[in-house]
Amino acid sequence: MNVLSLNNVTKRFGGLTAVDNVSFHIEQGEIFGLIGPNGAGKTTIFNLITAIYSITEGEIYFNDKKLQRKKPYEIANMGVTRTFQNIRLFKKLTAYENVLTACHKSADYNIFSSIMRIGKFKLQERYLKNKTDGLLKLMGLWDYKDIVASNLPYGLQRKLEIARALALDPKLLLLDEPAAGMNPEETIQLMELIKEIRNKFDLTVLIIEHHMDLIMGVCDRIFVLNFGIPLALGTPKEIQENKKVIEAYLGKEEKTYAED
Amino acid sequence: MSWDYVSGILILSGINLMTVLGLSLLTGFTGLFSFGHAGFMAIGAYMASSMTMKYGIPFFIALLIGGVSAMLVSLVIGKLTLNLKGDYFCIATLGFGEATRLILDNVQYFGGARGLSSIPTQGTTTLFNVIIINIVAVFVLVSIIRSRHGRNMVAIREEELAAQTIGIDVFKYKMMALAISALYAGISGGLLAHYLGYIQPIMFKMVKSTELTIIVIFGGLGSVSGSVIGTILLTFLPEILRSFYNWRLVIYGAAVILIMITRPQGLMGGKEFSIKSIIKSAKKFINFVRQRIGNKKEEVKS
Amino acid sequence: MSELFLQQIINGLSIGSVYALMAVGYSLVYSIMNFSNFAHGGVIMIGAYIGYFSLTFLKVPFFIAFVLSAFGSGILAVVMEKIVYRPLRKRNAPFLYFIISAMGASIFLENVVIASPIGPTFRSYPTVFSSEPIMLGSVALGRIDLLMFVISAISLMVLVYIIEKTKIGLSIRATSYSIKGSTLMGVNVDKVIFIIFVLGGLLAGLAGMLFGMRYTVYPQIGNITTKSFIAAVFGGLGSLPGAVIGSVLLGLIETMVSGYLSSQYRDLIAFALLILVLVVKPTGLMGKTTEDKA
Repeated sequence: MNVLSLNNVTKRFGGLTAVDNVSFHIEQGEIFGLIGPNGAGKTTIFNLITAIYSITEGEIYFNDKKLQRKKPYEIANMGVTRTFQNIRLFKKLTAYENVLTACHKSADYNIFSSIMRIGKFKLQERYLKNKTDGLLKLMGLWDYKDIVASNLPYGLQRKLEIARALALDPKLLLLDEPAAGMNPEETIQLMELIKEIRNKFDLTVLIIEHHMDLIMGVCDRIFVLNFGIPLALGTPKEIQENKKVIEAYLGKEEKTYAED
Repeated sequence: MSWDYVSGILILSGINLMTVLGLSLLTGFTGLFSFGHAGFMAIGAYMASSMTMKYGIPFFIALLIGGVSAMLVSLVIGKLTLNLKGDYFCIATLGFGEATRLILDNVQYFGGARGLSSIPTQGTTTLFNVIIINIVAVFVLVSIIRSRHGRNMVAIREEELAAQTIGIDVFKYKMMALAISALYAGISGGLLAHYLGYIQPIMFKMVKSTELTIIVIFGGLGSVSGSVIGTILLTFLPEILRSFYNWRLVIYGAAVILIMITRPQGLMGGKEFSIKSIIKSAKKFINFVRQRIGNKKEEVKS
Repeated sequence: MSELFLQQIINGLSIGSVYALMAVGYSLVYSIMNFSNFAHGGVIMIGAYIGYFSLTFLKVPFFIAFVLSAFGSGILAVVMEKIVYRPLRKRNAPFLYFIISAMGASIFLENVVIASPIGPTFRSYPTVFSSEPIMLGSVALGRIDLLMFVISAISLMVLVYIIEKTKIGLSIRATSYSIKGSTLMGVNVDKVIFIIFVLGGLLAGLAGMLFGMRYTVYPQIGNITTKSFIAAVFGGLGSLPGAVIGSVLLGLIETMVSGYLSSQYRDLIAFALLILVLVVKPTGLMGKTTEDKA
């Protein structure tokens, strides 16, 4: 079954077409890579899926439900969540508070029981705390739980963002350059971690990444995008041998310099 | 200083504190800025006073009616502005505060610019009542902050986009913070009316709103105990230093800028002042002293 | 068309054009820095006082007073940016801090005047023009009203020229589109922000002096900027043409209301208009919907 389907999705900003007629389908349990040179429109696709941008043309389906005209928080409540390329943690809160906040959907006590501290409040709060403990331990963040997010090293901030996303019990997880700023060793660890959480939480994962080692090592299938236009789709092996992809990436060096 | 004088200032502190607590939730915890809370105080003051004066409704119920009226108005402002991107909310509160005053100036039922007088003060806004109401208000506020609802508000303050992607209905929680803060301001207005015995539209100028927000900033954004300490300090200081009165707002203005530039956490730095933290720091201090004494003894021994 | 109607149109245009002077300065800052500079009113107030004291104390000729108040306000705006906003910008502080600091600056300016020997009194500008109106047929044209309109119109045209035709104008437009993008393209954002504060300050000084002449000078005269915030929302928050059109329309509506209904409702109508815009079309007349960059 397709967890996520993009059908002929197009996004224009004024005269600029950021994503041009993109279609792909992701199956349950897949780890699906989204690659392409800078400015290819990868993050724009994430923003379209999570309803931060509205779609110009085309449709996105999640578990056969259409995602248009939904608000970002509604998409999150359906089971789709993400991390950000330019990390967006709750900076002044501790690692623990970051995850605890995101667990909020596992409780449903209302504002009156939080004022009176009765009913479901205590039971559910205890559950949320246990859940937070578990997630922090799983992501190897337990020792850092009382450290304010903005003081964590870069790599741990990225991990914390994943932990925060997992707190929602998502069905589909979108990771936007999770290995950016990590050294090769950390990248390999992250690769194993992504596989582990996929199996443990029965997740489907969509990854944007520039570390080719990670993408090739972890993805079941890869979709290549260049200047908003679909270039190729296939297994890591097929992509590595694809001529069009090689060309796009050889041309990439000059372009990144020009853009930076 | 006579007791009457001190208790008068304490009552005023308590009245200010009600609005400050609400603003603390709105600005300190949710990250929204309002120029119009004096307007909510005015609504509460006028509603509560007419309830007790004209309909003989018991004081506490009148206070609640005043608070709820302010809350209902806040919901309209929130509905119009809180789901828009940009400074719409700020500008709307600015307009609302001024408009409330102008409307009251022109409504003869509420006495126009002369306002209402001979509001019952006997047995209404007493020090005892003010303290009880404030204790309840602090308790309710702290309970909300230490629940998933409060955590969601803080998440919005910290990073709105991320808050949305973890499933927080940003609009709903901003509305909630605004409604609670308006309720508190409304009750505060009712208390003020029944303390002074008279009210006039001019008492609820914009500078009143900003003064109360300044207290929240002094106490520290995101600290309830900071707001409490800040309110008491900033209500007492100008009363004691009368000559300071004219320069008070000049210093406040400069201090606000200085705090934002150097120490945005304010007095309490987002931390709470609690029995636990006192015990903790006392323990630290005792340990420190012990170590020093121990070191000295060792020095003596050697 | 009745005389009253024509008369109100002329009054409305002159008031509206001064609103536009203020609203444009506010919108310039909003379009680049994305926050409402609520201290703009303080700059206008100082401009009004500089104009007043130039005429009464220094006894300079009338047009020199204009130059002094414009430059005084321009300098004040820049100093304020340096002291208040720049440290926050360098730290990437949240927008809330900018708004709070702006409020602090506004309170500071207003109360420094009240606490100083200048005091809270209302002061009238010396009469520069005779109050004898110029008659156009049966329509009376107040000399000060005419001056307000002419000075505002010329200033706004100069501003439009700077923004549309000069290199620095191009940088301003690029920065308002995207700060990050324009930095990459080699635009010096600090310089752009300096320029917009200078421009906004100059216009604020003129507006302050015009209002001082039309009414009186007092420490709270800056509160009149509330009107220009509302006008900016009416025209479309962050849009310069919107700010001008919104201001002129607001001026017209206000004078119509005070002419045909009662001047008591003049200030209320601005708020009623704000509510109406928020209900019907929150993006205003010229506003564009923007999408956040994630």
